[in-house]
Amino acid sequence: MAHATIPYQQVRNDLWRPLAGASKHYTLTLALLSAVALWGLIAWGYQIHVGIGVAGIQRPVFWGFYLVDFVFWIGISHAGTLISAILRLTDADWRKPVTRAAEAITVFALMIGGLFPLIHLGRAWLFYWLFPYPNSRLLWPNYRSPLMWDVTAISTYLTGSVIFLYLPLIPDVAQLAERATGWRLRIYKWLALGWTGSDREWHALERAMKLMAGIILAVAVSVHSVVAWDFSMAIAPMWHSTIFAPYFVVGAIFSGLAGLIVALIIIRRALHLERYLLPHHFQNLAKLLLLMSLLWLYFTFAENLTVWYGNEPKEMNVFGARLRGRFAPEFWLMVFVNFVVPFVLLGIRRLRSITTATIASVGVLLGMWLERYLIIVPTLSLPRLTSAWGRYSPSWVEISITAATFAAMAALYLVFAKLFPIVSIWEFEPHAPEDE
Amino acid sequence: MSLYLTGTFAAKETAIHAIKQLKASGYGPTDLTVFSDEPVEFPRGLLDQPSHMSLAVVSGAAIFFLLVVGFVYFTQYNYPLVTGGMPIFSFWSTGVVFYEMTMLGAILTTLGWFIWESGLLRRDKTIPVPAIQAEAICLRIRCAPEQYEDAASILKQSGAQNVAKLEKAA
Amino acid sequence: MSPEHRWGMAIDLDRCTGCQACVAACHAENNLQVSDPASAAKGRAIHWIRVDRYYEGEFPEIRVKYRPVLCQQCDEAPCEPVCPVYATYHNDEGLNVQVYNRCVGTRYCGNNCPYSVRFFNWFDPVWAEPLQLQHNPDVSIREGGVMEKCTFCIQRISRAKDEARTDHRVLSDGEIQPACVQSCPAEAMTFGDLNNPESKVSQLAESGRATQLLEDLGTKPKVFYLERVK
Repeated sequence: MAHATIPYQQVRNDLWRPLAGASKHYTLTLALLSAVALWGLIAWGYQIHVGIGVAGIQRPVFWGFYLVDFVFWIGISHAGTLISAILRLTDADWRKPVTRAAEAITVFALMIGGLFPLIHLGRAWLFYWLFPYPNSRLLWPNYRSPLMWDVTAISTYLTGSVIFLYLPLIPDVAQLAERATGWRLRIYKWLALGWTGSDREWHALERAMKLMAGIILAVAVSVHSVVAWDFSMAIAPMWHSTIFAPYFVVGAIFSGLAGLIVALIIIRRALHLERYLLPHHFQNLAKLLLLMSLLWLYFTFAENLTVWYGNEPKEMNVFGARLRGRFAPEFWLMVFVNFVVPFVLLGIRRLRSITTATIASVGVLLGMWLERYLIIVPTLSLPRLTSAWGRYSPSWVEISITAATFAAMAALYLVFAKLFPIVSIWEFEPHAPEDE
Repeated sequence: MSLYLTGTFAAKETAIHAIKQLKASGYGPTDLTVFSDEPVEFPRGLLDQPSHMSLAVVSGAAIFFLLVVGFVYFTQYNYPLVTGGMPIFSFWSTGVVFYEMTMLGAILTTLGWFIWESGLLRRDKTIPVPAIQAEAICLRIRCAPEQYEDAASILKQSGAQNVAKLEKAA
Repeated sequence: MSPEHRWGMAIDLDRCTGCQACVAACHAENNLQVSDPASAAKGRAIHWIRVDRYYEGEFPEIRVKYRPVLCQQCDEAPCEPVCPVYATYHNDEGLNVQVYNRCVGTRYCGNNCPYSVRFFNWFDPVWAEPLQLQHNPDVSIREGGVMEKCTFCIQRISRAKDEARTDHRVLSDGEIQPACVQSCPAEAMTFGDLNNPESKVSQLAESGRATQLLEDLGTKPKVFYLERVK
């Protein structure tokens, strides 16, 4: 298929333009986001100072918003893995302009998600006890605990994702280093590792990327399975379910995809990349989102059907509360935005567009956050012994910190887009704007 | 004392032609280096050098696996504490940790081996490097001074532009 | 090395009147936090032993059943393997021990306990004057961020063992009484060594009336509830 290409220099001009200078919009947005993030940090400091009791959690709901956010952000991090790794391994060319944006989401979402095991600790200043080091107590961490599995899994995934983001960045950074001045020059030169573009370097890079794609995929599947096993390994009613591991992985890919679509829409508009992020990219992403929505529905249905049919009394308490009782509004809202909206907006070809993909994705982000909430809170509210039943409502501290993570994610992304081209230049194959 | 000369090609085919000619004249893969700002796909075996990256990564992963199994075994038995009637050390209860650390081994080995195999950070600074050209493939040949004319003529015959001796940039 | 003791408890539901003297005694003995109405409404009251009340029937034919619930010291406790820092583990006398100094407050153990007998210190404790003068010096004060639960009054067990060792004698049955057992006016609770077949608690545990709470979960609890006869 022959297509008129965007001229070489034009590509570089378009993709390097955002790196120079900062518009008023940019500075204002970054300042606002930083303020929200800072407020969250203050709230966290307050929590450490006064005590974790300032959060809304109580017995028996020992885990609340922080764990919901934790699972949510680790889920979002699967954006990069899906687009970059899976599509890289299947040689799907259309993914190329999208890979770096996706990989960046992964790294930042992991950094944010990885904070929550710290935030939710009762004695957060002793978090380092979860790492193995020789100490005067002669104690080591308990590797039989799913929380320790979390620590190792997320550390590995974060290391892998940073490397996975960094490797294809090297050639672009080397090109930038030729033109940069001042502090940017120092950063780019340092990151470029002396890249010259020789065939030996290119071969090594491509080999490394192929291997990393396979490795990171294996790690990503395991990471969200491990996060799911935080719940599965417990014998709490409706937690002790074998379906959780694949359910969470599917949900993670689902929410990650939605997060990616939202990020791309914003990038496309803000950086004027309409000729690089084409409608057919969003069509493909939208189709993937629809597929994941159906997969999510399948898992949700299977999970709930088995609980209902089994009719075990303790589980039915939780089940009833979710579908008919006090959590029913959240549950049915979740089903609506996770399935009905994407099915209609993206399933009907005439309705599928960039706008509807955005609406569906924002809905999915809300829906997946609600899904995590509905997994954690109802089960904990209704334990086996009825005398211990309780409630949960978040406090301003939890809400502030949750909002701050969204702001921090956006802020980190803004900074990233200013330092590095958000579309991978050397991987990008220019298409004419008319291409569909 | 080796000389370096370069020629720039606009298309992959002419570069391949030049490389084939040069290889016929006795130049090996270590004498010929191609510089480009995007990866160029050459036919198999043209400029390939053997790579042991996959083997290295698997080995790295295996080493980390053995290390982590040993570590967990040591730490669990060093101060054995009974929890929930589970055995002190069992594969199932800590299998995830083994898996993740094995993958970490694979990841770190990939990065390390990439840096090694690409020659980054080890680059001999006395060897001159051409500037990365826009949309062009630059072929650099290392030759003895007496072979310079022959090499240059092969390049020109294959359609290279800017055939010249490469001096080290200041 | 087989353990010398294996502590267990029997609670006679026929005798229990639901008076909650055990709850008050536990508070006094173990320096439990006193909650104000606001935190109690928020589900943050701490009662290492609580009396669950179950109502059957309609007025005037109402029956009330009482069941004191405390840490069951499960032999296969679900709370133990999930602690990432070994703040809770099984000691060789069969007790599920909680190490306050080691707890970092992940609260996973609290989620996994099917009996909901684990409690968390949400803040550093504050006692209204003059309650702080009533503290038991044998029991540490837990700071905020730490999990706690019934210990079978391990401080009393340790003291009795020390005294027996000093006096070069063997512990006799009934010598150790946790605060709840000691305070029960109906003498519904019995505490002792399950390794000693002659002890009262062993005999009660073998009796036909002995049951365990949530037995089918396989946690192997060491609190035996003696069913009501009538």
